[in-house]
Amino acid sequence: MRITALAVASLALVLTACGSSETVTPEPEGSASVQPVSVTDARNKKVDLKAPATKVVALEWGVVEGLVTLGVMPVGIADTKGYNNWVTAAKLDPSVKDVGTRGESSVDAIVALNPDLIITTTDEAPNTIAQLEKAVPVLVIRGSDAKNAIPQMKTNLDLVAQAVGKTDTAKTVLADFDKALAEGKQKITAAGKTGELFTMSDGYKQGSTVSLRMYTTGSLLGAVATELGLKNGWTGAGDKDYGLAPTDIEGLTKIPNGNFLYIANKNDGGDVFGEDLSKNAIWKNLPFVKSNDVHRLPDGIWMFGGPKSTEQFIDAAVEAVTS
Amino acid sequence: MTLLKPAAAQTAVPVAQPVRRIRVAGVFLLTIAAVVVLAGVHLTQGTSSIGAGDLLRLAIGQGTDDAASVLVASRLPRLLAGALVGVALGVAGAGLQSLARNPLASPDTLGVNAGAYLAVVVFAAFGISLPTLPAGGVAFLGGLAAAVLVLALSAGGTSGPTRLILAGSAIAMALAGFTTLLLVLYQEETVGTFAWGSGSLVQTDLDAVTQMAPIVALGIIAAILLAPKLDILALGDDTASVLGVNVRRTRMVITLVTVMLSAAAVTVAGPVGFVGLVAPVIVRLIAPLVPGLMRHRVLLPLSGLAGVIVVLGADVVLRLALGGKAGVEIPTGIVTMLVGAIVLVWLARRYRDSGPSRTASGSTRGRLRSRRTFVIVAGVLVVLVIGAAIVAMLAGDAWLRTGDITNWVSGRSGRAITFVLDQRFPRVVSALLCGAALAIAGATVQAVCRNPLAEPGILGITGGAGVGALLTLILAPAAGVWLLSGSAAVAALATFALVYAISWRGGLSSDRLVLIGVGVSAAATAVITFLIVYSDPWNVAMAMTWLSGSTYGRTLPQVVPVAIALVVLTPFLVHARRELDLLSLDDDVPRILGVRLERTRLFALLCSALLTAAAVSAIGVLGFVGLVAPHAARALVGGKHARVLPVAALLGAALVSFADSIGRTVIAPAQIPAGLVTSMIGAPYFVYLLWRTRRAS
Repeated sequence: MRITALAVASLALVLTACGSSETVTPEPEGSASVQPVSVTDARNKKVDLKAPATKVVALEWGVVEGLVTLGVMPVGIADTKGYNNWVTAAKLDPSVKDVGTRGESSVDAIVALNPDLIITTTDEAPNTIAQLEKAVPVLVIRGSDAKNAIPQMKTNLDLVAQAVGKTDTAKTVLADFDKALAEGKQKITAAGKTGELFTMSDGYKQGSTVSLRMYTTGSLLGAVATELGLKNGWTGAGDKDYGLAPTDIEGLTKIPNGNFLYIANKNDGGDVFGEDLSKNAIWKNLPFVKSNDVHRLPDGIWMFGGPKSTEQFIDAAVEAVTS
Repeated sequence: MTLLKPAAAQTAVPVAQPVRRIRVAGVFLLTIAAVVVLAGVHLTQGTSSIGAGDLLRLAIGQGTDDAASVLVASRLPRLLAGALVGVALGVAGAGLQSLARNPLASPDTLGVNAGAYLAVVVFAAFGISLPTLPAGGVAFLGGLAAAVLVLALSAGGTSGPTRLILAGSAIAMALAGFTTLLLVLYQEETVGTFAWGSGSLVQTDLDAVTQMAPIVALGIIAAILLAPKLDILALGDDTASVLGVNVRRTRMVITLVTVMLSAAAVTVAGPVGFVGLVAPVIVRLIAPLVPGLMRHRVLLPLSGLAGVIVVLGADVVLRLALGGKAGVEIPTGIVTMLVGAIVLVWLARRYRDSGPSRTASGSTRGRLRSRRTFVIVAGVLVVLVIGAAIVAMLAGDAWLRTGDITNWVSGRSGRAITFVLDQRFPRVVSALLCGAALAIAGATVQAVCRNPLAEPGILGITGGAGVGALLTLILAPAAGVWLLSGSAAVAALATFALVYAISWRGGLSSDRLVLIGVGVSAAATAVITFLIVYSDPWNVAMAMTWLSGSTYGRTLPQVVPVAIALVVLTPFLVHARRELDLLSLDDDVPRILGVRLERTRLFALLCSALLTAAAVSAIGVLGFVGLVAPHAARALVGGKHARVLPVAALLGAALVSFADSIGRTVIAPAQIPAGLVTSMIGAPYFVYLLWRTRRAS
């Protein structure tokens, strides 16, 4: 009954020329992926798809990275320019459409792409999700969980993989990630740096004011560094999702000696640590600045990304600490 | 012009009193002592563990490097920035108040801060990172332009406090709209300037302070040199001319000096709210106890010191209450704005009703128009609203065709178009209904306040509703439509009750109502900013909705309360149309004709508060519609409310709907909140309105 209805519907779509022919073309990878998919998302809601999604719109960059990693190029994402600046681990095709800002994406633009699935995070307003859901199935993942950062990242990739029928690829990706983490840990051990203190931060300048964000052990990068065998020098608490703690330059005096890692972006915001703070007396007097243990990680490692961004961080962090 | 006299007399009298040098010196000493104590406490606060003990050891030469660097690179810059901003704004405020002969003039109420801030953001938006000095120059030009405009519109401030405040707050609102627009458009370039926009004292070096300090010093010296002329100017323009003061030139110079001071403050810390208003008021408060304080040579520096006390005090209290971390996250300007708003309300309450001068507004009540005009106008507007609705359904990332809509209505449209129209429809409906609701509320408020420049936003009702809805949203993120609308309504009514109660002084003066409303709505804005920054600093979308009004992500159930409010409340107001006509005349006519004045007034205001609350909970805080639509309606069809109400409703609906269509289209796929577009349409009209009535009076 349902199958007949679907067949009629898809036929009708083709006949009325509203759907494009691509939707009907079966996945070249094989017949296994045409099975219906049912995923339970972060809202505990079952998202049913008649087939694994191939035309996906993603509204948060971590999801985009996951999709590209799994070999599914999204048809549209929020803020392509920002993504290209901040996420280098998984490059976008130029064909990917911009669907507006991450805060207020355009439902028109999304629907115009005729996607089979939209993936967003629990940070999105429930109203927006409800509205999108009327148009297209929406998979909602939890952006991050400060109590459970690494497993959350893995769960998110798994959820995305289930929805696009790439669970096998996801297994490989996550195995690679675990391997990278283990190798990183080994390198740290080999260099005799286990238990070494580190801190991780990023910063923005507004007017003559610099605001800094510290990555607590609850943050994804903080958790990864802990796994590597390093010890987070920032002991204060962060927010419950992303594990970030805002502070100012004075707040840095609470950090004991150790490696200070930070991320900046030359295309967006510049380097507040290397430029704005470099003349500051507190900065110059900080133990890790005096001992030359400040490391700017390469631009374009997304701090809230998936396995690939995080692997980039592992490499950069190991390099910084053991150098 | 009657308004000019009490203000002039108020400042003139103390000048005639003998100066008690010892007492004046005593006041100075006490103030300086207070500044020193506050500065001391201020230095002990911060995000590091450096406390009073470390600083004391440092003072006797036994401190650590850590303590020394924290003191030099964080604590002192913040302290000096606060002191500089305080002194500059204090002196500027005192100067502007004397210039305008108006105790409510200040860098905020004259739009100087908003203008300076906009100028700074314009440069940031185009990716031009200016060094401090040129940034100060840019801020100066922006502030000056805003001040000149507001002063011109309010006849140099001498036309009375209400007009000055209305002109200033409307211009400031419009400028803030443009600023927010730039922040939305150039998010990458202007990261987080949102918090800074409320005045933050976080400093990483002394650059800004050291570069601006000479300018502030120059400004203060110039102001003090001008002090004797200001004393004479206080006696009135004619007297001053007779005594040999070049009034025009003096006014011009003092405007330049005060704007320069405010611009320097904005360059250092962003717009720190209402310090320029509060500081001179504090001095005026103690003036009756100490003869001679009102002489400008004393008043100006003392106001500067009072400014320092206000800024440092706000900062100290903020960090005492919420901890050192809060000093990083929460802009100090929010606290000073709250304090300032309270002072504004207090001042407004003291403000004496100036009686018969209010009839001046008669010229804006609109000429009598024939019934035929009304029918034609209404007909045209109905077509316009239908047109607006159709355009709104068509407009977006991709323009649809009318055939798509007919297909959609008859359920024959394709998948994509069905979805697009399904999600556009609630946005279009909410824009239309909220526009109508705000316009009706505005028409009612204007009639009751007998002031063509009043609106629900200016009475604080809109802001109050915003605080209520936002608070609910933060405490219960999953709150349903009814809880949200309900809490917005309760908060709107409570705010309105508060405004009404404070304004009541053995009777209701509409001018006092407006002034107190402006104060309360400023306080509401401060609270909204605080709630957003404190609960979710990175949530720009939330900030947009609650500070500018947006239809983003609306669903039909959210629009239902607005529809119900319109259906239930409008008949009451239509029924009361004759009373509204009478109320907008004066107090006596309705009484003579047996209208129960206070009851009708309260009832009408209650209806508009509820309409506003419904609209705010659906679309956020949306300005200017309640102001512009009723006024345009009066201009089109005359002052009879039987005609004003429907025409205003149609105009409001069309205005918001067009604004929303524009906002969803021009920078697609990104979008501009509808409220910013209405500010940009509404503000020029409002300026025109003020300009015209300026000539009329």
